[in-house]
Amino acid sequence: MEITSGNGFGPFEAFLPVPSTATRSHEHADEGFPGRLFIVEGIDGSGKSTQLSLLHKWLESKGYGVVFSEWNSSPLVKDTTKLGKKKKMLTAATFSLIHATDFADRTEKSILPLLKAGAVVLCDRYIYTAFARDVARGMDREWVRELYGFAVKPTVAFYFRVPLETAIGRLLDGRNGFKYYEAGMDLELSDDPEESFRLFQGLILKEYEDMIPEFALTVIDATLPIEVQQAQVRQIAKAHLDKATNVRVER
Amino acid sequence: MRQTYGKLLPGMRISDLSGKLIVIEGTDGVGRSTQINLLRPWLEEQGHAVLDTGMTRSLLAGDGIRRAKEGNNLGRVTQSLFYATDFVDRLENEIVPALRSGFIVLTDRYVYSLMARAFVRGMDSKWIRSIYSVALKPDATFYLRLTIDQLVPRVVFSRGFDYWESGMDLYPGRDMYDSFCNYQTALLREFDRLSEEYKFEVIEASAGAGEVFGRLKAGIFNILEADTRKEFILTRDKKPLSISSSAGKAKIDAAPQDTRATEFELVLRSILAHATHGNGKTAVHHK
Repeated sequence: MEITSGNGFGPFEAFLPVPSTATRSHEHADEGFPGRLFIVEGIDGSGKSTQLSLLHKWLESKGYGVVFSEWNSSPLVKDTTKLGKKKKMLTAATFSLIHATDFADRTEKSILPLLKAGAVVLCDRYIYTAFARDVARGMDREWVRELYGFAVKPTVAFYFRVPLETAIGRLLDGRNGFKYYEAGMDLELSDDPEESFRLFQGLILKEYEDMIPEFALTVIDATLPIEVQQAQVRQIAKAHLDKATNVRVER
Repeated sequence: MRQTYGKLLPGMRISDLSGKLIVIEGTDGVGRSTQINLLRPWLEEQGHAVLDTGMTRSLLAGDGIRRAKEGNNLGRVTQSLFYATDFVDRLENEIVPALRSGFIVLTDRYVYSLMARAFVRGMDSKWIRSIYSVALKPDATFYLRLTIDQLVPRVVFSRGFDYWESGMDLYPGRDMYDSFCNYQTALLREFDRLSEEYKFEVIEASAGAGEVFGRLKAGIFNILEADTRKEFILTRDKKPLSISSSAGKAKIDAAPQDTRATEFELVLRSILAHATHGNGKTAVHHK
């Protein structure tokens, strides 16, 4: 399906009533919208958020209209997610669905309209986070992919690849303890939160690795110095921005 | 053997669900909750344990959906997924456990309503069907049907127009009446299509509450008639039923034990007999 801009479509008609949702998410944002969508993925401790915030600073300094959207942050949905997590009410299925609901709200209210308006949208975690986590929790791979069929395909999906032990080392320095779902305690892999986290992240890492070819993720070696990674990220982003028109805003 | 519409959720066992899943479907204002309020005591009088459930009643997402709808800024995809979250929470935490315990689950709307609403809002059919492929196939779906002309006075003269029931998010017409008619007509069209596809048992809701109740009782009676649990109990006539499963042969001669067992059997048989003869003839429920 071709997503075209400026054809008078409402925000939803542009991508919803097409026959197949499975193929829809494979469309590039650049093919239809004046805006650009850059997203970062990777296991906890991969340094993706640091890289995204550096990209954000740079894009702003270049005069682009930049908007940042974080995973799990919809004002409409986050209270429900919080309730589910606090009371440990979430199963693999409802964990998956409530996060998809949150993502849908951000897609409908923010990501999609902003891309149409010509903004550069930056997302810390995207549908691939859901694919990795939900499948690690036992959800059907195909079902979860279909669930997110309404998502806009990113212009570039950066995957910050890092060995498990490196990521865990970075995380353990800065914190004391993991939250229940964060550590994947609901999977009952281990009674020890740290061990559970390790095993859970291992499962997630495996899913990410499989997704690199499936979704043509752009791999960044997250063991390299921060500056080197950022230079690569900016170079790749720049290539996509050069082709873009109408994305600069007056400051 | 109970089935889903294609996918099984992780950790969900469905091989031993001995209860019955009975769906009451229909658009807004056809009298679904009135009927459920009649059916529940009727079933309980016969000795059946009943769980009734319905949309937005989940502990997880019910309040969240209500809050989201207050603001009138709930997008169409988000709305579909919020309702799916609510449904799956109830499926996993209410419906399946109740069926496993042998309850009759009466559900006020099921995935069909959610599908109809989503289709009217332009959601992709394959997408919605994939999400609800995890739903259990019910034992029966009764579709209370009204035409749009019959529906309008019921809604207008009872509770008035509601923003969402009038599909104001979809048809922001000149007024709520126009919106309501457009939206409910579109919904009815979807329901009629789904009715064919999923073989609903159609009950004309214009007949009046008493008549509809009679039809529902007859329909549910047929399902319970085919219930294997009942066959199991009734085919045991040769042996007296015992309260205590540990009652060994040696104790059978003991008079008190035997009397109690006989009493129990009598009560159980009367419950079952009541169910058998109760079709349409049991207590008339006045308001």
